[in-house]
Amino acid sequence: MSKKECIAMLLAGGQGSRLGALTSKIAKPAVSFGGKFRIIDFSLSNCANSGIDTVGVLTQYRPYQLHEYVGSGRAWDLDEHGAGVSILPPYATQDGGTWYAGTADAITQNLDYIKGHDPAYVLILSGDHLYRMDYRKMLESHIEHGADLTVSVMPVPWEEASRFGIITANPDDGRIEKFTEKPEKPDSNLASMGIYIFSTDILVQALEDDALDQRSSHDFGKDIIPKLLAEGKRLYTYEFHGFWKDVGTISSFHETSMDLLGENPEFDLFDKSFPVMSNDSTRPPHFIGPDGRLDDCLVSNGCRIYGSVKHSILSTDCVVGERAIVEDSVLLPGAIVKDGAHVVRAILGENAIVEEGVKLGSVDSTKDTAVVGNDVVIGKGE
Amino acid sequence: MVNRKAIGYITANYTSKDKSALLESRPLASCPFMGRYRLIDFPLSNMMNAGIRTVGVVLPGNYRSLVDHLGSGREWELDRKKGGLFLLQGSAYGTAKHGLRFLLRDIIANKMMFQRASEPYVVMSATNIVFNMNLSDVIDAHERSGAGITMIYTHADRDVDDATRLNIGDCGRVQAVDHGCPYGDNEFLDCFVISRDVLLDICESYASADYLDLFEAIQDDFGRIDVCSYEFKGLAVGMFNEETYYKRSMEMLNPDIMHQLFTHDRPVMTKAHDVAPAKYATGSNACNSFISAGCHIQGTVRNSILSRDVVVESGASVSNAIIMQSCVIKRGARVDNAIIDKNNVIPANTELRGTPDDTLVVPKVPLS
Repeated sequence: MSKKECIAMLLAGGQGSRLGALTSKIAKPAVSFGGKFRIIDFSLSNCANSGIDTVGVLTQYRPYQLHEYVGSGRAWDLDEHGAGVSILPPYATQDGGTWYAGTADAITQNLDYIKGHDPAYVLILSGDHLYRMDYRKMLESHIEHGADLTVSVMPVPWEEASRFGIITANPDDGRIEKFTEKPEKPDSNLASMGIYIFSTDILVQALEDDALDQRSSHDFGKDIIPKLLAEGKRLYTYEFHGFWKDVGTISSFHETSMDLLGENPEFDLFDKSFPVMSNDSTRPPHFIGPDGRLDDCLVSNGCRIYGSVKHSILSTDCVVGERAIVEDSVLLPGAIVKDGAHVVRAILGENAIVEEGVKLGSVDSTKDTAVVGNDVVIGKGE
Repeated sequence: MVNRKAIGYITANYTSKDKSALLESRPLASCPFMGRYRLIDFPLSNMMNAGIRTVGVVLPGNYRSLVDHLGSGREWELDRKKGGLFLLQGSAYGTAKHGLRFLLRDIIANKMMFQRASEPYVVMSATNIVFNMNLSDVIDAHERSGAGITMIYTHADRDVDDATRLNIGDCGRVQAVDHGCPYGDNEFLDCFVISRDVLLDICESYASADYLDLFEAIQDDFGRIDVCSYEFKGLAVGMFNEETYYKRSMEMLNPDIMHQLFTHDRPVMTKAHDVAPAKYATGSNACNSFISAGCHIQGTVRNSILSRDVVVESGASVSNAIIMQSCVIKRGARVDNAIIDKNNVIPANTELRGTPDDTLVVPKVPLS
């Protein structure tokens, strides 16, 4: 009998290089999103809302802010005796130490953590996806199928299918027949969401085998899943319908942010039945000045708005000066748009400053979204 | 930095001398202020920012909302192995009286807290007057002066009939206190530093007068005890009844004034909630207002302060108002010069109107 039913391993070590300036100093899961949240909030909140009380957070790339933010896990009610959040960075042993070489290797290096908790099942998650999901339902499905591995999937538009790991499954019972990473000619539009539930003994065996395989890139999608499939293991899909986004690129970050706006957004940050929790910084309510205008916006605590803001997200402690205009933009915490500046279709990093009268960004949607890195100052002529 | 010199003591068991619908369901200490705060956040944060890590809070009879807000005291660094937050008993009598807010009987009843402490000083504070002050400087000044008590005062920026006036003589020595403080005079901020041995001595020597306030009991002995004063030059916001609560809240709608209370180097901490940012719809019209997280603004908001999760529907209008948590102002409703307490739903096309001098107060709606 296992000590615990299910624990989660949250992969949060990736650089998120395609987010460019936004991740030059911090790990992708620690990037601010949706005004007052950080990307990792969504997975941690899902765990808390699904009753999973033990979460190992695997970190590697620029982990300081991420470690500080996650802390004891208290903000997600995950500080429990004999459970809770454990931050798992790479470590040294008597034989030396290595970086995490891939998603599977990161878990392999922490098998002791898993064995210590002795769960019946292990949930593997990415710390950089936006969605609301009750993992209990996926676990029920895993147990019902008597599966060795359950992969959460969702239908994607056919034209985008070649960007994902595509799964072909038996339509009757969901048993996985084929898994192809980014196929050129997909024969299915069920995409893997990078969320896996393993029966622990299968996971341990697969990882120990994989560690010995010199040719493996130690990746779940590329190596572990195809191998288990080839071995005839019981792999099943769990079909998810709803909002799920990987904000891996600047354009998807911008687009997904904009999706939070409007009358009835698909992802409702206000849904209190399955709340998104965060490690809140205590700042006063925001202030709108006498001439401030806000039209279709999300505005966080601590902001001061004296100019006009349209169809944009203002994170904690942003300032929009007098006569300044902000449109179709995302301002990350502490970003400042000074008097008379005009910012359109842009992402301003944390504590970035756009100086007085500067124009930044273009309404032309064929052009790239303008991005200003954290702490960068944009003056005239830049 | 943790301050090893002082512990804190907050008298949260006082209310307003005037009856108010706002205080029917809560003590003054947990009265909401500036959308997301409660009055007790200010003395707690001042103590936290001074490094004080042991604070006793004297509870009122109706302590539910206060204890809910305080929790383990974590927000103010008070969930600790050593020291931390202590909930103290307090008398229910006399707590609505005019003026002074440090009843000797309550201090004596909680004497054990002062006996057990190793820190040499105690900072005592009430909750009616909010300000953001570096209390470490006051503790250091108190230590240097060798005084028994150091009372913090400011020059009153208006007539305050429910504040205490300090009569200050040579070398800043306080000679007497009296009730009511006219404009420009020395207004006691209901906050002082007292040496712990002096406090314990007072508990012994004046026990027979325990029905008096501390400062009433010792008033003939100010010289012997050596009562000093310390001037605070920043913004102090005293709230003693509905009228001053409304007026002083509205004055905060000037960011220059507001930023004297909310500084980055001395943050005001409060209980955190998981609430999404505020959302503004197309066609919303908000200006000169403070809006908290979780609000949905579709209509018009002017010169107002909104707590979290307030909905202002399209065509609704809120002006010169304080709207507390989870109220809904329905389509076409108008609210002006009013304080709307928690959980009220203002029906469509209704009008609630006070005047600048006679604010309309709508009491909290109990959950059904």
